[in-house]
Amino acid sequence: MPAACSRPVRSLRLPVCCLIALCALVSNSPAIAQDKNLLDLEKFELKFGFIKLTDCAPIVIAKEKGFFEEEGLQVEVIAQPNWKTLLDNVISGELDGAHMLSGQPIAATIGFGTKAHVITAYTMDLNGNGITVSNTIWERMQENDPDLLASQPQHPISADSLKPVVEELLDEGEKLQMGMVFPVSTHNYELRYWLAASGIHPGMYTKSDIGGRTDADVELSVTPPPMMPATLEAGNIQGYCVGEPWNQQAVAKGIGVPVTTNYDVWKNNPEKVFGVTKQWADENPQTHLAVIKALIMAGQWLDETDDNGKLVNREEAARILSRSDYVGADFDVIRNSMTGFFYFQQTDKREMPDFNVFFKHDCTYPWYSDGVWFLTQMRRWGQITEPKPDAWYHETAKKVYQPEIYLEAARMLVDEGLLDEDKVPWDTDGYKQPTDEFIDGITYDGKKPLEYLKAHQIGNKD
Amino acid sequence: MAYLELDNVDFGFGPVSHRYEVFERASLAVEQNEFVAVIGFSGSGKSTLVSLLAGLLKPDRGQVHINGKVVAAPGPDKGVVFQNYSLLPWLSVYGNIELAVKQVFPSMKRGERRDYIQHYIDMVSLRGSEWKLPGELSGGMRQRLSLARTLSMKPEVLLLDEPLSALDALTRSQLQDEIIRIWEEDRRTVLMITNDVDEAVIMADRIVPLTMGPAAHLGREFPVTLPRPRDRATLNFNPEFKELRNEVTRYMMNLNEEAKSLTRSVTLPLPDLQPVLPGPRVRVG
Amino acid sequence: MLGLWIILILACLVGAAAWAGKHRTVKAIDVAGLNFLTPIVRLCYGEEPEKQLKDIGRFIVVPVIAILLFLGAWHVVSEKIQTKSGKLPNPRDTLHAAKAINDFHYRENDKQAAFNLNGEERAQELERVEQRLEELKPLEAEVNKNVAAAKEAAKERLATKVAPLQEELDTLTAKFKDAKKQRDDELASLASQAAVGDEDAKNAFVGKVRAYRQLASDERDRLRDLRTEINDMRAEKDPEEQRALAEQTAIAEERQYLGKMQDQLTDSNRYEKVDEENAKLQEARETLYAADSATILKAATKVAQTEDRIDRIEESGYAKPATLPYQVKRSVLCVFVGFLIGSAIAIPLGVLCGLSKTFMAAMTPFIAIFKPVSPIVWLPIALIVASAFIPDPDKHWFTQWLWELPLLGEYKINPAFIASAVTVALCSLWATMVNTAFGVAAVDKDHINVARVLRLGFWSRLFKIVLPSALPLAFAGLRISLGVGWMVLIAAELLSSSEGIGKYIWDQFNNGASDSFANMVFVVFVVGIIGLVLDRMMIVFQRLVSFDGAPTAI
Ligand SMILES: Nc1ncnc2c1ncn2[C@@H]1O[C@H](COP(=O)(O)OP(=O)(O)OP(=O)(O)O)[C@@H](O)[C@H]1O
Ligand SMILES: [Mg+2]
Repeated sequence: MPAACSRPVRSLRLPVCCLIALCALVSNSPAIAQDKNLLDLEKFELKFGFIKLTDCAPIVIAKEKGFFEEEGLQVEVIAQPNWKTLLDNVISGELDGAHMLSGQPIAATIGFGTKAHVITAYTMDLNGNGITVSNTIWERMQENDPDLLASQPQHPISADSLKPVVEELLDEGEKLQMGMVFPVSTHNYELRYWLAASGIHPGMYTKSDIGGRTDADVELSVTPPPMMPATLEAGNIQGYCVGEPWNQQAVAKGIGVPVTTNYDVWKNNPEKVFGVTKQWADENPQTHLAVIKALIMAGQWLDETDDNGKLVNREEAARILSRSDYVGADFDVIRNSMTGFFYFQQTDKREMPDFNVFFKHDCTYPWYSDGVWFLTQMRRWGQITEPKPDAWYHETAKKVYQPEIYLEAARMLVDEGLLDEDKVPWDTDGYKQPTDEFIDGITYDGKKPLEYLKAHQIGNKD
Repeated sequence: MAYLELDNVDFGFGPVSHRYEVFERASLAVEQNEFVAVIGFSGSGKSTLVSLLAGLLKPDRGQVHINGKVVAAPGPDKGVVFQNYSLLPWLSVYGNIELAVKQVFPSMKRGERRDYIQHYIDMVSLRGSEWKLPGELSGGMRQRLSLARTLSMKPEVLLLDEPLSALDALTRSQLQDEIIRIWEEDRRTVLMITNDVDEAVIMADRIVPLTMGPAAHLGREFPVTLPRPRDRATLNFNPEFKELRNEVTRYMMNLNEEAKSLTRSVTLPLPDLQPVLPGPRVRVG
Repeated sequence: MLGLWIILILACLVGAAAWAGKHRTVKAIDVAGLNFLTPIVRLCYGEEPEKQLKDIGRFIVVPVIAILLFLGAWHVVSEKIQTKSGKLPNPRDTLHAAKAINDFHYRENDKQAAFNLNGEERAQELERVEQRLEELKPLEAEVNKNVAAAKEAAKERLATKVAPLQEELDTLTAKFKDAKKQRDDELASLASQAAVGDEDAKNAFVGKVRAYRQLASDERDRLRDLRTEINDMRAEKDPEEQRALAEQTAIAEERQYLGKMQDQLTDSNRYEKVDEENAKLQEARETLYAADSATILKAATKVAQTEDRIDRIEESGYAKPATLPYQVKRSVLCVFVGFLIGSAIAIPLGVLCGLSKTFMAAMTPFIAIFKPVSPIVWLPIALIVASAFIPDPDKHWFTQWLWELPLLGEYKINPAFIASAVTVALCSLWATMVNTAFGVAAVDKDHINVARVLRLGFWSRLFKIVLPSALPLAFAGLRISLGVGWMVLIAAELLSSSEGIGKYIWDQFNNGASDSFANMVFVVFVVGIIGLVLDRMMIVFQRLVSFDGAPTAI
């Protein structure tokens, strides 16, 4: 019976519900089905913030496809000007929750930047970022590595061919300038990872250098995502790491070349999370559950495939996201990456089915090991100024990542028949299997953060 | 002792470095209920005299007395009709008078006040223009309003600074009669500044010319002994009237000549340059 | 609809003018600062037709021609100004953008209305929506086909355009590669000779190397230029394709809207939901009545819960996104709040400054230091202060109270709004303050003399003489302040992300879509026109308080 309430047959839902009610009246028997909406919401009119990036999709879809409403929530989804304002608005209570960079709840909780206890019970997506360099830099990389001249060069492209460019610039007394979106963003860590993997020092954060430029071969600076293409074209930066649609935008406008995606830097890396303050979660536990339920449904909808494994809902999602109050970029540009394609150059279109993952690979589960990885990166680049013991990493990750809430929400969905039992990692301890699918092949085991730190050449090792 | 008295007053404007002495040892005495006209050339200090008498300016030396008391501050008992009317441009005709009446007779009832104000408006023939703003009035109408406002305060002493200068001859004579009537009715002490010898002769008990500035003082006095009421039509043929008028005019012309010769003597030593001269511009006021 | 309103308003105005007579109408026009209408009125009364026609020519026809010329120049220039980041939208694009913005607004209104529809109305609306959806299906298919065709055509066109260049590039690449190889060989052979030669020979060899390096670099540049040319060609948008895409977008958006409407009229509809919950409540009641001591608590809880939920659904509303008209209204509200705050501070301080030279001396340093501070600097400070006073806007008594207010409640005044308003106040109060101070200090000496003769007390003197005579200057200051405030507000909203025009512009800028620039240009006009209306309003006030018929600037 509950299956009747799932989306594809929802036109049936109304009559069926009436029927149930009728049956109940006539037969005078107790209810049979588990009610969907029986959460005792503390608050049902919510405001969520997002940044204009395609990976805000779960929130937008949950609203537009009615998943929030099914949970009895009326949600306003409001674009935020930048990550800092977004976080501030969540902390001040102006927003109930938001689409956040994975590093943001962690950094806020440990007090790097604004201090506040922010938690997450839902990872919004995997992958989805790219590193784009300007046409000039791309040409110089091609000179250094003629293989890149091919119309579809071999992937992954490491920063090896960039290194001579950086060195030449250093000789001239200049530093290559690259943009990333926020000091604790995935983009910052990915860009650093990619550069460091080829021996280019991206600079350290220290107590006095909060710009992270100490010892840098390449200077990284914060630029809001939507400004990236314009800043690149203006020549203030020569490359950037950012989410979609801003890499595809560079290709569409012919101002830069995405050399690699974070899928190549770290296969299936966690990207954005849905963050709320601890205080909010404590005050509104049922509402939080309802939100997570809706988001899981949205993630599932986004990753729904047909029998051939083709993503069936992405076209519609791209259409919704291109609305000007959401991401607002041209439909064509959003569609590229959302439907599993990625243009590396005008002539280099590749299939990348996992460029944006919203549900597969247990993506939405809030893994402790993800939290630990971000913590190791914060330590590696000196944002965490003191060495910490292993236990601290685990404790901190557990403060921020709240799989219990996720599992509770998932359990309800399973009971309601909206989610398959086997799509949820019920028995995990919260740590993903160790993986070496990084661009430099170093193995990451979430349980051993210090060991992982030691394995790298550049950056803090303890 | 006279009712209104200017006692050996010195007065000057400006700081020591470039001081302009308006009066030196100026004295004037006006008896109670007397009507005195002061005539003088432009810039000789007529308005300054009014201000001194009203208490708006303080003499540098000497004193101003009214009724034996030193004048320390202005007040409604010394009603002034300012030369440039000093109407409040954001208030209507009615409002301007009302402001004064309310302030001077705070206990007056509302209805009574309305009639009182209307009476003064009628007196200066401004009926129908009650709600016009000063900006919408002609120069003469403004002058009449200013007069009405001052009269409405029922002052002991009326100081009129060229109150009729902007009026046409007809209205002018009408108002002259009106002022005389009021004066005769209430028997107030009036000091009127004027630039018109005829007017002075027709209205005043006494005419006091002001000598040319700087350092002016009040000159020879001309008592007017013509009987009242003075009828304009017959006065023109009155020899006493003609005589007095000619005498005053001559006196004034002499003052002017003196002043001119004074200034000329300054210009003489200068070669054929045409200097820009300091001192008052000479014009028959 | 709009046209009808305009005609109605115009008719009312003409009626009023006819009733009021020529002089009053002309005066009203003058007070309203709409002097360009005067010749028309006079002409209607047949007054000096020749002169009036001349005036009409000068004050109406000339501006209209100027506007047309501007539109023409804009159209021409916009075709030329094109960077990779975008193209300057032309008037037509801007008009389209305006239409799209309007559509979005009405569609959201529809959704909101649909959420609250019940009974017969709902059925009708649902029928309309479904019918339109049916109509749309073939259209959509056709448009999709068109897009595919257009894309194919564009690709072909591009290919034929690029082909010769690509060929040239390929041949040149090969040729240069050969040439380089040849030169390398030559250098290698020369090297052995130079190695044994004297210094001159070696120096000559350096010359050769340098020459060849130069050659290589030239060749590289040539190739790069070619490649850039090809890339630029590829990046160029095909107009046919763009047109097809725009059509597709229009249809897809409508479909999206209809889909959501359908949902709002069925599953998500408030009454539907209430009905559903009522059924559940009935059910829960049945359970309750049949319950025994073991299950009664659970059953009772459920009844209570369901009842609560029904209450909430009944008072819930559709979470409507902010549309431009709403944002405009909120911005105007914000500028007035800021303006009022600013004036409330500026006028008393200005009066004090004007009255007392000592106070003025005390204030001068502050005025001098704070006046030039940019809104960008005030805003973060204002934000911190506002947030500190209202830590949790959802629960704070002040915001709660504001949100309950009948008319203002709709605008959800929050700390960001307050911070923007305060920024407006801080930037705009100076003009008012300085002007008021000046006006008070410059009260006509004669008026003061009148006050002295009347022996007015301090307060009467202030309120009856000083303030009225300072009013025109103070209002001139207020007018400047409002203008400054309006300019500042856009920047403040942009930074504070307070829902309003500033945020709209920032969002559009962030969108970076092909129509974003057109939306922004449209907003430029909206901002300008509102600024104009605000200014006109202040002119009217200024004229009303100016007793001396003081001239006011255009
Ligand atoms: N506030 C002032 N500061 C400096 N000098 C002044 C001031 N007011 C008047 N004076 C000077 O004092 C002299 C007398 O001025 P006053 O206004 O009394 O002239 P007046 O006789 O009333 O002239 P008029 O017939 O033109 O009104 C003039 O020479 C004038 O320059
Ligand atoms: Mg004078």
